[in-house]
Amino acid sequence: MKLRADLVQMYRDVHSWVGIIAGLFLFVAFYAGAITMFEEPLKQWASPPVMLPPPVSLEQTPELLQKTFTAHPEAQNDYTIAVTPEDAKRGRLTWEPEQGLGPTRNRHSSGQTFSAGLDQQGNLVVVPKITSETARFVDVLHQTVGLPLPHNIASFVMGTVALLYAVALVSGVIAYLPALVKMLFAVRLGQSLRKRWLDFHNLLGLFSLPFHIIMAVSSVVFAFHGQIFALEHKLFPTTVAANQQAAQGGNGLHRHGGRHQGGQPETQPSAAGAEQLPQALLRPMLAPSAVVATVAQQAPGFVPEVLNYMRLGKGRDVIRVFGHDDRYPTRGPTGGFMVLNGYTGQAQTTDYLPGHQQTKFAILTTFFSLHFGSFGGTPVRWLYVVLGLVGAFLFYTGNQLWVVTRRRKEKERGHVQETRGTWVLSALTTGCTLGCIAGISALFCAVPFLPGGGQQQAVSALYYTVFCAFVVAAFCLPGQRGIRLLLAVAGGITALVPVMLCINATPFLHNAQGVSLTVTASLLSLFLLVCAARYKRQL
Amino acid sequence: MATRKTPYTSKNWLVKVLAALVPGFIFTLGLTGVVGLLCHTNGNPQSASGQYLMWLTALVWSTLLSTCFLFRSGRQAWGYLSLGCAIVWAAYFLLRSTMA
Repeated sequence: MKLRADLVQMYRDVHSWVGIIAGLFLFVAFYAGAITMFEEPLKQWASPPVMLPPPVSLEQTPELLQKTFTAHPEAQNDYTIAVTPEDAKRGRLTWEPEQGLGPTRNRHSSGQTFSAGLDQQGNLVVVPKITSETARFVDVLHQTVGLPLPHNIASFVMGTVALLYAVALVSGVIAYLPALVKMLFAVRLGQSLRKRWLDFHNLLGLFSLPFHIIMAVSSVVFAFHGQIFALEHKLFPTTVAANQQAAQGGNGLHRHGGRHQGGQPETQPSAAGAEQLPQALLRPMLAPSAVVATVAQQAPGFVPEVLNYMRLGKGRDVIRVFGHDDRYPTRGPTGGFMVLNGYTGQAQTTDYLPGHQQTKFAILTTFFSLHFGSFGGTPVRWLYVVLGLVGAFLFYTGNQLWVVTRRRKEKERGHVQETRGTWVLSALTTGCTLGCIAGISALFCAVPFLPGGGQQQAVSALYYTVFCAFVVAAFCLPGQRGIRLLLAVAGGITALVPVMLCINATPFLHNAQGVSLTVTASLLSLFLLVCAARYKRQL
Repeated sequence: MATRKTPYTSKNWLVKVLAALVPGFIFTLGLTGVVGLLCHTNGNPQSASGQYLMWLTALVWSTLLSTCFLFRSGRQAWGYLSLGCAIVWAAYFLLRSTMA
């Protein structure tokens, strides 16, 4: 394979400039994304315990429902039953009292949530359920490439970065692949620093190329799907039936995994049945144990985790069953769902039910699951963690390569000191990457000391304080000693994470995921500390 | 490619990128429209066809943005992409009127 030299040179220029603009944003997105693979277990770990008696069995749940609805009729419109013992520990029954009513009410409001249980005498106990927002914050960092901007602006920036990322990928492949194939596994460790970074960058880039192509295209989609759909809407004559279908859509993976759902625009469920707060007990919907039985019958192999009862009025009351099926990829990061008729239990929508989708939807699901790593179970999740961390390191090596190459050229031209551009980029690379690592580690260290396991404002303030401190320090302390110090501090803070994971809650260490997360954090801190000890600034 | 006179250069990148951003996007949108009409989609985000089209738009636009550098000059980029726009949009309106 031989390409014209001028073409290769042009794409090399494009690759370095696009890479340098997007690199640091992408580092944050990839590092936070790798941690987001553990969002659910980290959320469970960070959230304060719910002070309830041991949960009632699924068979006894109707009694709990009846007592709760007598005392809190407002809970009847929309409530959630935890099926798995793990989830039930934080309350078998939970609900969020609705803030506003009517069609404009906000289903995604982070209002207070309540949990209910029965004590040994069968008396109703209702307590507020507080969920830590720390893990969610890291997820949002991932989605907004680490910028504290309003969501629509951040998502525009993210989309722009994703487009740059796509351009960087194509240009990187055109510019470097032909030459790279010749010396694929050669990592010239002994030679100059520039060659070492280049070889690392090429090796990592090539082997994770399919992963990066998927991420680039899906990120563009996640960022711009709303705008594209709006334009599509104008392109095609819509029919009344289609509008109705859009308004009804069995949509709601947002609420269970609590994660982004590119390509699936939010629709407001019709509030026809909830225009007034119910004062009296409404006709009970299908009991949880019956729901589990009918799910087992209609979708064998699908493991229900959470049942969401929604009264939409006019006989359209539904139960949305969230869960997973390890045999199939899932549309959401943690699973799929099915919609059942609220009284008969007959399945109404299986468009998002793993293994029961029509082929056309199943293919779309594949695109999503390739972004989330929600296929193939635990091994794939781990593969995605590794690919995410490797991706972050790839962007770091790219930036280092840029800095080292510029320094070499400047020295050849006879400059005694590096130019301002090189200095700024070098400091930014150190500050942003280590600031991001240290900031996220600091969050998980602080969880046991923050009220409610970390709520939005406190978590955000802490992260950006640490991040900005690192960036400022990188500018104030340039040179080898400064970088060593920052590496050591970041490594030290990260080393505290496994300690906190162990002392805050022992149950975290009882499952394989918790143990491996603890080991990963330890390895990462070890890596940073070794780098701190051995780092030498060379040309 | 061997007969090309002007060598490739990254100097005129801005004009080429602007071409991919502006007429390139209008072209992508027109292409989405044509494909959508041929598939009889209504563009509903809940439908499979609507979602496939959305992915198509993202893919085509990203590809245009990364290959726009292959145009010989900025003027050529604008020329070809504007021509592409004219063609796909003419096709779109033609299809739409015949289908209605």
